[in-house]
Amino acid sequence: MSLDVRDLTVRVGDKALLERVSLSVKDGERIAVLGPNGAGKSTLLSCLSGQRRTYSGEVSLSGRALTQLSDADRAQRMAVMLQSVQVSFPVRVWQVVAMGRYPWGDEERTRQWQQEAMTETDVWHLHDRDYTSLSGGEQQRVQLARVLVQLWQQRQEGGAGSVLLLDECTASLDPAHQHAIMASTRCFAASGVAVLAVMHDTALAASWADRVVMLKNGSVVGDGEASLLADADMLQQTFDLTADVAAKYACQNGVWLPQSPL
Amino acid sequence: MLSRPAATSQALTERSALMPTLFLLLALVVSLFAALLLGPMSLSVTDVSGSLLRLVTAQPLEGASDWVVRELRLPRALMAGLIGAGLAVAGCITQGVFRNPLADPGLIGVSGGAALAAVSVIVLSSSLLSGWTGLTGPFALPLAAFAGALTVTWLIYRLGTRNGQTQVALMLLAGVAINVVVGAATGLLTYLADDQQLRDLTFWSMGSLAHGGWSQILALCIFLLLPLLLMLRYSRLLNALMMGEAVAGHLGFDVQRQRRWLLAGAALMAGSAVAVAGVIGFIGLVIPHLLRLVSGPDHRLLLPQSALAGASLLLLADTACRLIIAPAELPVGLMMALIGGPVFILLLVRQSRRWL
Repeated sequence: MSLDVRDLTVRVGDKALLERVSLSVKDGERIAVLGPNGAGKSTLLSCLSGQRRTYSGEVSLSGRALTQLSDADRAQRMAVMLQSVQVSFPVRVWQVVAMGRYPWGDEERTRQWQQEAMTETDVWHLHDRDYTSLSGGEQQRVQLARVLVQLWQQRQEGGAGSVLLLDECTASLDPAHQHAIMASTRCFAASGVAVLAVMHDTALAASWADRVVMLKNGSVVGDGEASLLADADMLQQTFDLTADVAAKYACQNGVWLPQSPL
Repeated sequence: MLSRPAATSQALTERSALMPTLFLLLALVVSLFAALLLGPMSLSVTDVSGSLLRLVTAQPLEGASDWVVRELRLPRALMAGLIGAGLAVAGCITQGVFRNPLADPGLIGVSGGAALAAVSVIVLSSSLLSGWTGLTGPFALPLAAFAGALTVTWLIYRLGTRNGQTQVALMLLAGVAINVVVGAATGLLTYLADDQQLRDLTFWSMGSLAHGGWSQILALCIFLLLPLLLMLRYSRLLNALMMGEAVAGHLGFDVQRQRRWLLAGAALMAGSAVAVAGVIGFIGLVIPHLLRLVSGPDHRLLLPQSALAGASLLLLADTACRLIIAPAELPVGLMMALIGGPVFILLLVRQSRRWL
């Protein structure tokens, strides 16, 4: 078991952002977390990534409570991609990606890996550009290269016990890049790294995930195979859709499911 | 794949970092020598090199020119170098932590807070603050300045930062407000001061390197050089903080704790600079800004290069101040304000295009 969440509850004031959320992620599993705005997806991710430390319940990484791991230890086994990252000073793209190796302290010796990661997210041609001058989608791909290179040796040597957390990492990407990026996270999963992605695009989730977790009002309302996304009732209940819209989405998602005959 | 030529360009980018550093090192040596050579009393290059040689070989003072170099100009030059380096690095650090190029210790009121605390010690040491001076002895001034700098840093951090995001306008306006209060309080203290204290105060508020000797240099080595060297360890955290607090945390840094050390270090450096030389502004603004244009924002280069460049700049500015109206001299703080003010406006205009 890579990542284990038990009875996770987060309260701010008297409002519950997460209510007794339990979920476990196996090595090499690809999990998509979906839900309407304000369902608690980002809160969940901030607890899993160690950023938020005030919660009740337990989050553990390979059997050890996340709060007991040092920040440096955690960073060697968990990489996190946020929705958007603003930098405060004009910094070159390759410098941003090199920071992905800070947890290992080997950014000078792993230039080859950094180049491979940049090639994979299709930003190698931008490597000497100023990050602040890039478009939103390009910045997102650069950040993804930084996040991927953080776990690069896991991909080569087997990544059991490591986790990749992605928060809507494809939000500002064009369709070709969306699918290319999700395909490259598959390589990580194939080597044993657990990948958990918060997603908005149900079709992309259907095409990519082994398992989907549906959140609503801070609680898990659905947890199962990706085919859950082709279930109109499920979509209707989670996203408060009208019946005919839910049916259209379910039909569309069904097409995207990998085992679909189409 | 175009990997080969591109990879060499990346290696070049890293190697070319050596050139600016060597240049800055050379500039520091030249400005140090200029500070020893130039002044109201004209000396020759052989006088100065002879004096330095006698100093290194620990021979006693010999003649007037030797005394001028070793007991007048050298301590002052060392002070200028140390303070310039400390202020520039303190600027780098506050800018890195607040994630904004305008966060200079002078502008956000840190130096002002230190000055107020130090001025209070000067004026009130025999009355209200006699307990403090009794307790801390010869370190009363630097410690008070540090406490003042630390208080303001904490205040600015509280006021200007929400959820790890620094509100630039709020931070700068809080700095303006603090500087106003400090100005008023310093003004109030001038009414309580006697003649000698009044002269001290004037020097302080303008910033000058005219007072000081070997004991001040010793204090600067402890309270400014030591933290400066320790702060170099945090350059990777400062790099990671460019992408925000959350990302730095994901990269394995204990952001909350290390950021506190960084701000305390910057306050200590700015505070001890103020304790010795009064308020000298803008070095922490101008130097990191120029170096970011030349070498980029990587703090592993930026911090040491800022130290070298800050030292050179203050050495040159102080030498100029001693020459312009010789045998009298200008306070170096005024000179720095003349250089720094326009740069500040330039930065402000560039910032407003990006964010406001």
